[in-house]
Amino acid sequence: MQEPVFSYVPGASIIHRLDPRTKVTAVMLLGILTFRIDNFAGIVALFAFFFVLALLSGLPVKVFLRAVKPMMLFIFFIFLTQMFFTDGRPFASYWILQPSLEGLEKGLKLAARFIFLLLFAALLTASTDPSAITCGVERMVRPLPLRWLGISSFELATMMNISIAFFPLLFERVERTKAAQTARGMDFVKNPLRSIPALAIPLLRGIIRDAEELALAMEGRGYQGSRRTSIHELSMHKNDWRALFMLALFILFILIL
Amino acid sequence: MIRLEKVSYSYPDGTPALENLNLVIKKGEFIGIIGKNGSGKSTLALQLSGLLKPQAGRVMIRGMDTRDPSKLPEIRKFVGIVFQNPETQFVGRTVEEDLAFGPENLCFSPMEIRKCVDMALAETGLEKYRHRSPKTLSGGQGQCSALAGVLAMRPECLIFDEVTSMLDPESGISVMEIIKKLHRKGKTIVYITHNLEELHDADRIIVMEKGKVMLEGEPKSIFSDISLKTLGFDLPSLIELAETLKTHGVIIPWEKTASPQSFAEEICQLFLKT
Repeated sequence: MQEPVFSYVPGASIIHRLDPRTKVTAVMLLGILTFRIDNFAGIVALFAFFFVLALLSGLPVKVFLRAVKPMMLFIFFIFLTQMFFTDGRPFASYWILQPSLEGLEKGLKLAARFIFLLLFAALLTASTDPSAITCGVERMVRPLPLRWLGISSFELATMMNISIAFFPLLFERVERTKAAQTARGMDFVKNPLRSIPALAIPLLRGIIRDAEELALAMEGRGYQGSRRTSIHELSMHKNDWRALFMLALFILFILIL
Repeated sequence: MIRLEKVSYSYPDGTPALENLNLVIKKGEFIGIIGKNGSGKSTLALQLSGLLKPQAGRVMIRGMDTRDPSKLPEIRKFVGIVFQNPETQFVGRTVEEDLAFGPENLCFSPMEIRKCVDMALAETGLEKYRHRSPKTLSGGQGQCSALAGVLAMRPECLIFDEVTSMLDPESGISVMEIIKKLHRKGKTIVYITHNLEELHDADRIIVMEKGKVMLEGEPKSIFSDISLKTLGFDLPSLIELAETLKTHGVIIPWEKTASPQSFAEEICQLFLKT
């Protein structure tokens, strides 16, 4: 079975063992940083930084390729539009299109930024168990006054977890409903408009029933939406502080560069 | 242990699901509840676990009234319930995380949660699937995982609502084996089913019809009750066979009707004697 993009790859590397909060913070900061970088030296430095982290994580290269590949066309399109539609010194001329040197530079930088975002995101999700990420996010937002929104950080975390777990069930249900309606003579190709309610109504009813059953099972297992603990023990170790310190140094270095 | 006193409950549309029901479940008992669709047996399961509150009468679980919200966490810890469809009982991405859900709700420490999870995995033989997604498990393993999710909370009483009805017969038997093992270890079991065959070893069987208890007693007396047939239930085929043999003057003792093996042995014995 083809593994989905951004899936978790279990391991025991130093990156795997970092606290999810450290990693989430790092990815957020590096994400901001990629869009602050404005010279090629910065890009090279960032790539070197990523390269070291990837080596430390011991993750196979295909994890990162898989993350970038589906977006490649989109990134290439951005690159092209930047190259052709930025004013500057043209280095060639195709019909009415004149790619400029400035455009080429801008396009390359923008493409690099997107690729960095994907790479760092892949590094986070491949080296961290999704529920550890949820747990980390829960801890990070716990001090925020979420009560204003009428939810607690615990509910938020459970919601994230359930949506991740419930998603495949949703697709399965779409397929099943489609098969059931096809069996009863619905033609999804000829009659796309008429088939929408024929698919949507039983689907919605099924999903609501599934959700009700799930809610009952959750309540039966003691869920109350209030304070709860987690199997994932989160504790910031020396390595986490070291990693954050090094990250801070690196960011400073890039900004000065 | 669990006591229903004159419990009545109607669905929102007014159809009565339970009417004036009295029931006592003793510690360590294996109770089978059987009834057709709409007989109120699933509503009864929800009442027994405190997930539904009675509209009249009361349900007392170990002296705690289910209508008292402050007692709910304690009740949840005491009674666990497993439902029909394993798929809609999973909340975790891996089996391990799913099992952790209950203990997490009870606010156990991470170390205690691990202990509960390990215990539940060992009890159901799912250790090797610990890191698998529960969705990739087969129906039988999935139901075992759902059962383990409840076991991880260490309840004393377990309620099973038609847990084998979506499984193939073989997986159904293996789930049943685990349930019987839990009963031998002292857990109180309430087993709800369509299938009388699964209730051969129960301590007591309750036959429900239209929200009322129609028959109640040991399997032996329930199975030989003629009114069971008028209520529309099929006897297990071995019991049916034993009954037919009886009309021909061949008596098969009740204990021997538990499995085809013991039944065959008994017939061979009788054959050798003649």
